[in-house]
Amino acid sequence: MKRNKMISLVLSAVLLLAVLAGCGEAESSSKGGEVSSAVQTEDTSLKGSTLNLFTWEGMFPQEVLDGFTEETGVKINYVNFDFDETMLAKLEAAGGGDYDLVIADDYIIETAISEDLVQKLDPSKLSNYKSINPVYQGQFFDPEDEYTVPYGAGVQTIVYDPSLVDLEITGYADLWDKSLEDSVGIIASSRVIDGMALKVLGESYNTEDISKIEAAGQKLLELAPNIRLIKDDNTQDDLLSGEISAAVMYTSQVTMAKMQNPELKVVFPKEGIGFGIMAQFIPSNAPNAEAAYLFMDYILRPEISAKCYEFLGYYCTNKDADALISEEYREFLTLPEDFKAEKMEMIENISAEALEAHEKVWTAFKSACE
Amino acid sequence: MSGNREKKKRRLRGEALTVLPLYVFTLLFVLGPIVYMIVLSFLTRAETWGVLPEFTLQNYKNIAEPVYLETFWESIKLALTSTVLVILIGYPFGYFMAKLTAKWKKRTMMLLMIPFWTSSLIRLYGWIIIFRAGGILDKLLMALHVTEKSVKILYTYPAVVVGMVYALLPFMIFAVYSSAEKLDFSLVEAARDLGASPMKAFLTVSLKLTLPGLLSGVVLTFVPSMGLFFIADILGGNKVVLVGNLIQEQLMKTHNWPFAAALSVALLALTSLFMFLYRKLSGVKDLEGLV
Repeated sequence: MKRNKMISLVLSAVLLLAVLAGCGEAESSSKGGEVSSAVQTEDTSLKGSTLNLFTWEGMFPQEVLDGFTEETGVKINYVNFDFDETMLAKLEAAGGGDYDLVIADDYIIETAISEDLVQKLDPSKLSNYKSINPVYQGQFFDPEDEYTVPYGAGVQTIVYDPSLVDLEITGYADLWDKSLEDSVGIIASSRVIDGMALKVLGESYNTEDISKIEAAGQKLLELAPNIRLIKDDNTQDDLLSGEISAAVMYTSQVTMAKMQNPELKVVFPKEGIGFGIMAQFIPSNAPNAEAAYLFMDYILRPEISAKCYEFLGYYCTNKDADALISEEYREFLTLPEDFKAEKMEMIENISAEALEAHEKVWTAFKSACE
Repeated sequence: MSGNREKKKRRLRGEALTVLPLYVFTLLFVLGPIVYMIVLSFLTRAETWGVLPEFTLQNYKNIAEPVYLETFWESIKLALTSTVLVILIGYPFGYFMAKLTAKWKKRTMMLLMIPFWTSSLIRLYGWIIIFRAGGILDKLLMALHVTEKSVKILYTYPAVVVGMVYALLPFMIFAVYSSAEKLDFSLVEAARDLGASPMKAFLTVSLKLTLPGLLSGVVLTFVPSMGLFFIADILGGNKVVLVGNLIQEQLMKTHNWPFAAALSVALLALTSLFMFLYRKLSGVKDLEGLV
């Protein structure tokens, strides 16, 4: 009996210690950040320092990352996040520190800037700054280009299998066609899909007029019988297997689908398209901002950029890299020749009230699809 | 005397120390989050990001919107459908499993356990391979000349129900089995000897004695099925909107955390109600055979 009690006492002590040890670790890692910033102010050569890169998994080919370390001697500490929201929460908790360079989506960057978590860029430190395609600059999240450098853009295009679809699809409105019953796949984003209906009705993606959003909801209910699936991941597989015959997909999925089946048709909807832009920024208290500049400039080199976009499968935001992207990818990684910038409307942050209206419309639409 | 009391005191202190981690754990990781969630559900969402510390009842009012109320109904409907199917398949399974010889009991148990060695998510993707256009089911039906075109079952309501039943069936089987195993089959024989028909013997003896197992099986399938939103996601193509899906959407996409918290509180209240009804109905204080 006594022995049993001893064992349980020891076990509970171990448990307690484990908890305490966990706390200790967290402290020491935050201290690590401070140390490296101290090194950086003393030593400008940056060699041997670390670049804390914070972005999604799989944003760069490994050879590009290795090439940077080889050339500059700066080690890369690649930290992943899964959602933009997680990134913002972590950056907020770190008070804009801990990370040197972040790549995330446009709308969350607007929020990060308004929360004072982003520092202004000095373009004179970027020798390849002029290579950026101006189409992707001056957008809502950074209208004066003070904070960000774009890294890839995506657009919600329609992709369809001409062997399964009888009509020629030219715009979003065609998805409402009766012949497409139970055979359309769409992405699971309320703003994009509600926005699609808004566009068909000739409205803006970003309207805050509740009655217009509700009208779009009514329009969507007419689309419901055609919807077979609503999801964000691997929609290309469903298109390739014939589960669906047309889809509204993200650029990276379009790339994968086209690589598998070149017969698929990619449509730039005639209603006008909304780009999503991913961009790089330096957090306000980045411990090693100089290394971040070095990395951004390296990525902006056209030959490096071309490698990145071929790997990433998103639209190339570096105009000097366009010509370097190999033939098989160029068709869907660079803008079409007849592209008109004035037709482009991005999805921007809107009022909470309008967002709630979107949410309601979206939930009703999804339930109606069943 | 006083020495004895001293000893008792010390023993009590020792016991308190050993259970302390459990209490700390429960307070920190169970009670804490629930309190946090309840507090959050009364706060106001900020314009684009985060939460404002302003009291409101708006989040609960939102739940009463027909669109959102429907997701609760949808969840209950799916939970009921799955539970009924799980009873129809799981009860006879568990009942007859208890009648097997010891060797076959072990083997059957093993076969039931093996799928649990793989992540439930991966097993769900297995169903996609079976259900998708040109998948295993299509090929089988075409080979049997039942159909010539794809049956297109993936991303439909029946696909979700199959996924739910598949995920929850073992819980019912184990609950019924543990109850049926304790059943003395000579009682059934006695009833038959005394002139009861097989049906009557089953209803008055077997069913009555295995009822606690059946009821705990119902709780173990019904309650989790209210929250298994990812099955509706993966096999239903997001078209079946359950409360769980709505909560996830509010948290991850709309950033309306207070509303998500209010929905969670409502879901928690609903499942607590079901647990309460179960206790009233069965008079059992814990989950027979499994706790």
